[in-house]
Amino acid sequence: MDDADESKHERTTRKDAEKLEGKQTRRRGWRLMKETVGAHPKLMVLGIFAGLVWATARVSVPLLAGAAIDHGIARGRTGITLALTAAIVAVGAVQAVGTGLRRYAAFGLAWRVETDIRMRLVAHLQRLHFAFHDQAQTGQLMAYANTDIQQINNVVLLVPLTIASSIQMVAVVVILLLRSPGLALFALGLLPLLNISATRFNHRMYPVGMQLQKELSDVSGVVEESVTGVRVVKGFGVERMQRARLSSEADSVFDRSMDQARLRANFMPLIDLLPALGLVGILWYGGHQVLNHHLTVGDIVSANLFVVMLIWPLRMIGMLVGQLPRSAAAAGRIDSILATDPAIEDAPNARALPDGPGSVRFERVTFGYGRGPAVLDDLDLVIEGGEAVALVGATASGKTTIARLIPRFYDVHAGHVRIDGADVRDVRLSEVRRSVGLVFEDTFLFSDSVRNNIAFADPEAPNEAVVRAARLAGADEFIRELPEGYDSIIGEHGYSLSGGQRQRIAIARAVLADPRVLILDDATSSVDPSKEHEIRAALAEVMRGRTTIIIAHRPATIALADRVVLLDGGKVVADGTHERLLATSPRYREVLARAALDPQSGVVDDESVLDLPGVGD
Amino acid sequence: MGWWGDNVPEETLSRDEATRVVRRLLRMLRPWRSLIVVAVLVLMAQAATLLAGPLLVKHGIDAGLPSAHSPGDSGALDLAVLLYLAIAFAGFVLGRIAIVLVARVGEGFLRDLRNRLFGHMMSLSLDYFETEKTGKIVARMTSDIDAMEELVSQGLVLFVMNTFVFVGAITVVLIVSWQLAVGILVIVPPVYFGSRWFRRVSNKAYLEVRDSISTNLSTLQESLEGVRVVQAFGREDAFTRKFHRTNEDQYHANMTTVRISSKYFPIIEYAGVAGTAVIIGYGGWLTTRGVVTVGTVAAFVLWLNSLFEPINQLSQLYNTVQSSAAALAKIFGVLDTRPTVRQRQAAIDLPPSGMVEVDHVTFAYGQNEPVLHDVSLRIGDGERIALVGPTGAGKSTLAKLIARFYDPVEGVVRVGGADLKDVEFISLRKRIIVVPQEGFLFAGTLRDNVRVGRPEASDADVEEALRVLGLLDRFVAFPEGLETEVRERGSRLSAGERQLVSLARAALADPSVLILDEATSNLDPGTEHAVERALERLMEGRTTVVVAHRLSTAARADRIGVVFDGRLSELGSHDELVALGGHYAELYRAWATHQATPEVA
Repeated sequence: MDDADESKHERTTRKDAEKLEGKQTRRRGWRLMKETVGAHPKLMVLGIFAGLVWATARVSVPLLAGAAIDHGIARGRTGITLALTAAIVAVGAVQAVGTGLRRYAAFGLAWRVETDIRMRLVAHLQRLHFAFHDQAQTGQLMAYANTDIQQINNVVLLVPLTIASSIQMVAVVVILLLRSPGLALFALGLLPLLNISATRFNHRMYPVGMQLQKELSDVSGVVEESVTGVRVVKGFGVERMQRARLSSEADSVFDRSMDQARLRANFMPLIDLLPALGLVGILWYGGHQVLNHHLTVGDIVSANLFVVMLIWPLRMIGMLVGQLPRSAAAAGRIDSILATDPAIEDAPNARALPDGPGSVRFERVTFGYGRGPAVLDDLDLVIEGGEAVALVGATASGKTTIARLIPRFYDVHAGHVRIDGADVRDVRLSEVRRSVGLVFEDTFLFSDSVRNNIAFADPEAPNEAVVRAARLAGADEFIRELPEGYDSIIGEHGYSLSGGQRQRIAIARAVLADPRVLILDDATSSVDPSKEHEIRAALAEVMRGRTTIIIAHRPATIALADRVVLLDGGKVVADGTHERLLATSPRYREVLARAALDPQSGVVDDESVLDLPGVGD
Repeated sequence: MGWWGDNVPEETLSRDEATRVVRRLLRMLRPWRSLIVVAVLVLMAQAATLLAGPLLVKHGIDAGLPSAHSPGDSGALDLAVLLYLAIAFAGFVLGRIAIVLVARVGEGFLRDLRNRLFGHMMSLSLDYFETEKTGKIVARMTSDIDAMEELVSQGLVLFVMNTFVFVGAITVVLIVSWQLAVGILVIVPPVYFGSRWFRRVSNKAYLEVRDSISTNLSTLQESLEGVRVVQAFGREDAFTRKFHRTNEDQYHANMTTVRISSKYFPIIEYAGVAGTAVIIGYGGWLTTRGVVTVGTVAAFVLWLNSLFEPINQLSQLYNTVQSSAAALAKIFGVLDTRPTVRQRQAAIDLPPSGMVEVDHVTFAYGQNEPVLHDVSLRIGDGERIALVGPTGAGKSTLAKLIARFYDPVEGVVRVGGADLKDVEFISLRKRIIVVPQEGFLFAGTLRDNVRVGRPEASDADVEEALRVLGLLDRFVAFPEGLETEVRERGSRLSAGERQLVSLARAALADPSVLILDEATSNLDPGTEHAVERALERLMEGRTTVVVAHRLSTAARADRIGVVFDGRLSELGSHDELVALGGHYAELYRAWATHQATPEVA
C-alpha cells in the first residue's frame, strides 16, 4: 500500500518536474531567440516598417474601390471613377514594393538567425570536452543543428510577417467599426473562428503527423532489413512473412493518413465557409441598410474585399500560435548545449610547456569516466624521455585511459599527470596537445585528400614532410598507387581504404606533427601482419629519441618497446622487458594468449590460436 | 509561402516518358474508377458553389438594392441571401466529403502500391540486390513513395479543385460579361509568365540550396565524428572556420531564393490590385454605358480571386506533380524488372536427399565474363566439403548456385537427382539452407528470429532447435529470455550471439543440404566456442558445403575443393591435397610457417 502510494507520488512529482523542466527549456529558448534576433535590429525594423507600409496600402484598396462605386460609377461620373482607379493602381505599386521588402526582411532575418545559431552551436561543440562527446550521439547533435534550428527559423520568419498582418487586421476592424458597427459584426464576427480552428487544427495535426512519421519509418525499417538481409529472406524462403509484415505496416500508414485526412476535412472547408458566411452577412445586413439609405453599395463591396483580405492573416496567426511552443522547446534544447561549459580549458594563469625530452609521469592518479567506477586507481607510472614503453593489459585494464590522460582529454580526479615535470592542467592546452601525438584505436580520417589528412596538424607543411611522414608510416607505397596519389580524396565520398591503410595514414598524421610524446593505441591492429613488418622498421626510426607509448597485443609490436608495463584493474602489476615478463609473469602470458583471440588482433594470429588446446582440433 | 522548394524535382521526365507514366497510372487506378468519378463530381459541385457566391451577390445588389432604375426589393435581397447561405453550407459539406474521398482513393492507391512494389522486390532474384545499391532499393519504397504521399495527401484535392475553379471562373465571367472578362483576362498573361519564370529560376536556386545544405551537413557531421582528432591536434579553430564557410554558403544560397521570391510575390500581388483597378475603372465605364450593372462589378471583384489563386497554386503544385511523376517512373522501373530465377510451371518437390551434383556448370553475372568455367562436383549425402580459394575466384558463386540463388548459364545443378530448375521454390528453401557470414537479425524477439527458419514452427520446436545446438540455456538466461527484443536499444547481441541465432534458425529449418559462408572476421572470445560447437551439431548428418576462409576450418572437412580462377583446380582430402603440392599445399605451408614464427619466444 505504502509502496504503491509512494511510487504514485514519485510519478506525479516526476511528471511535475518534467513539466517544469519543459517550461524552463522553453523559457531559455525564448531568451536565445530574442538574443539572436536582437543582434539584427535593422532587418527587424525594416520588416516591421515595410509591413506597415504594405498594410496601409492594402487596406486603402477596398476603400478606394468603394468610393469609386459610390461616387463615380453609381452617379455615372467617369472622371471620378478613373481618378480613383488611378489611385488604386498607385497604391497597388506601394503595396507591391511593401510586400517585396517585408518578405525580404522576414526571410533574411530568419536565415540570418538560423545561420548564426548554427555557427554558435557548432563552434561550441568543437570546444566541448571529450566526456561530453562520449555521452552525446552524433545523430542527436546533427538533429539539433538541423531540424531544431529550422524550428527556430519558422518562428523568426512568422513574427514580422504576423506583426504586419495584425496591424492590417486591427485597421480593418477599426475602419469597419467606424463606418458601421453592425456591418463590422456581420462581416468579421465569425472570422476569429478561423483563427481558433487554425490553431486547433495545427495542434491536433502535430501528434498525428508524428505518428504517421513513425509508421513511415517502420515501413522503411521492414524494407531496409529485408534488403540488407535479403540472403536470409531468400535463403529461408520467408518472402511471404516479410510481405505480411510490410502489408500490416502499410495498413497503419493508411490508417494514420486517413486520420490526417479526416482532421483536414474538419478544418479546410472552414477556410471557404467562414469568409462566405461573412459575405452572406454583409449582403443581408448591408443590403437592408442600403435599402434604408444608411449604407451604400460601395460599402458592401469594400466590406467584401476586407473579408477576403483577412483570410490569410488569420490563418497565419493560427500557424504562429501552433509553432511557438515547438520552436521555443527546440531553441531551449540548443541553449542547454550552449550553456554547457567546456570542462577542459586553460587555467587562468596557464603557462608554456617547459622544454624537455618528453618525460611522462603519473603520480597517484585516480580517474573514472563520469560517475562510473574508477578505471585508474592510485596509479604511479614513470616514462623517461626518449623511452619506448608498451602498455599491456586485458580489456578495461586502463591502458587506453592512460593514453587519453596524457594529452589531457580528461582531467584526473586525484593525483597528477606531468609532462616534463609540468602538470598538464597548468600548461596551455594547445601546447599540451601539440606535444602529444596520439594515434587512436578507431582511425578517423576526413573526407579530404590524403595529403591534407596527413598534414592535418600543419596544413602548411611542405610536400617533402608529408611524403616523409607517409614513408615512415609505411603508407607512401600504397598512396602512390592510388589514382591521384597524394591528391586522392578519401573518406565517405572518395576512395575507400582498408583498415590497415587508414591506420597507416593516421600514423603518418601523428608523425608529421612531430610530437614529444607519441602514443600508438592499437594503431597497427588492422594492418596486414606481412605489411606490419615494414612499418615496424619505419616506426623504429620515428621512435628514435622520442618518448613512445605503445598499446598493442601482437608480440612483434610489443617487441618494439624498451620496457613493458602490465596493467590490471587500473594498477601496474608488472614492469620489465618482454622476455622477463614472459618468463616470470603468468598473468602476462595469459593476457597475451587471450588477446590473440581478440578480433582486433588480426586474422593470422587468430588462426594460430585456433590450434591452442581446446579451441582447434 | 517560401517553403515550396522542398520538392523541387531533381530530374524531370520527357514528354513521352510522362505520357507513358500517366497512362500506366490511369490503368493502375482502374479499381478505384467509381470512387474517382464520385470524387470528381463532388469536387466539381464544390467548385460550382464557390463560383455561385459572387453571382448571388450580383443578383442581390442588382435586384434587391435601390439604383437609378429601381427602388430596391427586399424580398429579392433576402432570397439571394438565403440562397447564398444554402450554397455556402453545401460547399462546406461537399468540401469535407471531397477531402475524405480523395484521401481514400489516394492513400488506398499508395497502400496497394507499397504492397505491390515490395512484393515484387521480394520476388526478384539475388542478382538484383547485388547489383543495385541497398540505399537505392530502399529509396524506391521510401522516399519515392513518400514523394507521392505529398501529392496524394494535399496536392491532389488542390490540383483538381483549382483546375475546376479556374476553368469555371473563366467560363462564368465570360458568360456574365464578356467585355469585362476580356478586360481582366489581360492580367492573366503576366501572372502566368511570372509564375513560369519564378518556377524556373527558383527551382535552380533550390537545387543549389539543397547542395549547400548537404555540403554543410557533411562538414558538420565530420566535425562531430572527428571531434576527438580535431581536439587532439588542436585544430578547433581551423575546423570552425571551415564550417563557417559552408554555413555561410548555405545562407547565401538561401538568400538567393529569398531575393527571387521577393521579386515574384510583388508581381502577383500587384496583378491582383491591377485586376481590381481594371474592374473598377473599365467596369465603371461599362456601367455608365449600360453594358454591365453595379452588381456585376461587385461580383467580378470577388471572382478575381478565383482567377488568380488557381494559377498561383497550380504553379506551386507543378513541382510536386513533377517529382511524383519522376518517382513513379522509377517505381515502374522496378516493377518491370523480371526475376532471373523463376519457378517453372508444374515444378516438382525437391527429393529429401543430400546428394548434390554440379554438372559441367558455367556461370557469369549478367553479361560479364564467366566467373565459373565448366565446374563439375559430386557431393555425397552427408558429406562435408570445404571450398577454398582466393577472393573472387568463384567459391561463393559456386555455393550460391547450389542454393539456386542463381541459375547456371550452362550445365545443371542437381540435388537428389532433380534439376534445381525444375524444383518448386518452397520445397527448395526447406531442404537447402544458406547460413550467411554475418548473423542477420530481424526486428522482433529472439524467438521470432529463430522461427524464421520455419514460420509455422511451435514454441516447443523453437526451443528444441536451440536445445539441439546446446544454446537453449544461454538464451533463456537473457533478462527476458527468448522474448528479448533483439533490436531494442542498439544491438544487445554480440556478433557471435547473432551468429548463434542464425545457426538455430537453420537447425529449426532442418535442411538436408547446408551451405555455410564462414565469417571472415572473428567472433568475440566468449562465443567462439559456442559457435564452433553449435556448428558441429548442426552439420551432423547433413550434406554441408562450407565456403571457408580459414585453413583450420577447411582441414576439418571430408574433402576440400580449391576454386582458382573460376575452375575447380584441386579436389581431395586435406592430406591428399598437401601431398599433391598444388595451390592448397602452398597456402597451407605459408600458414603453417607463419604459425610457427617464433615471435612470442
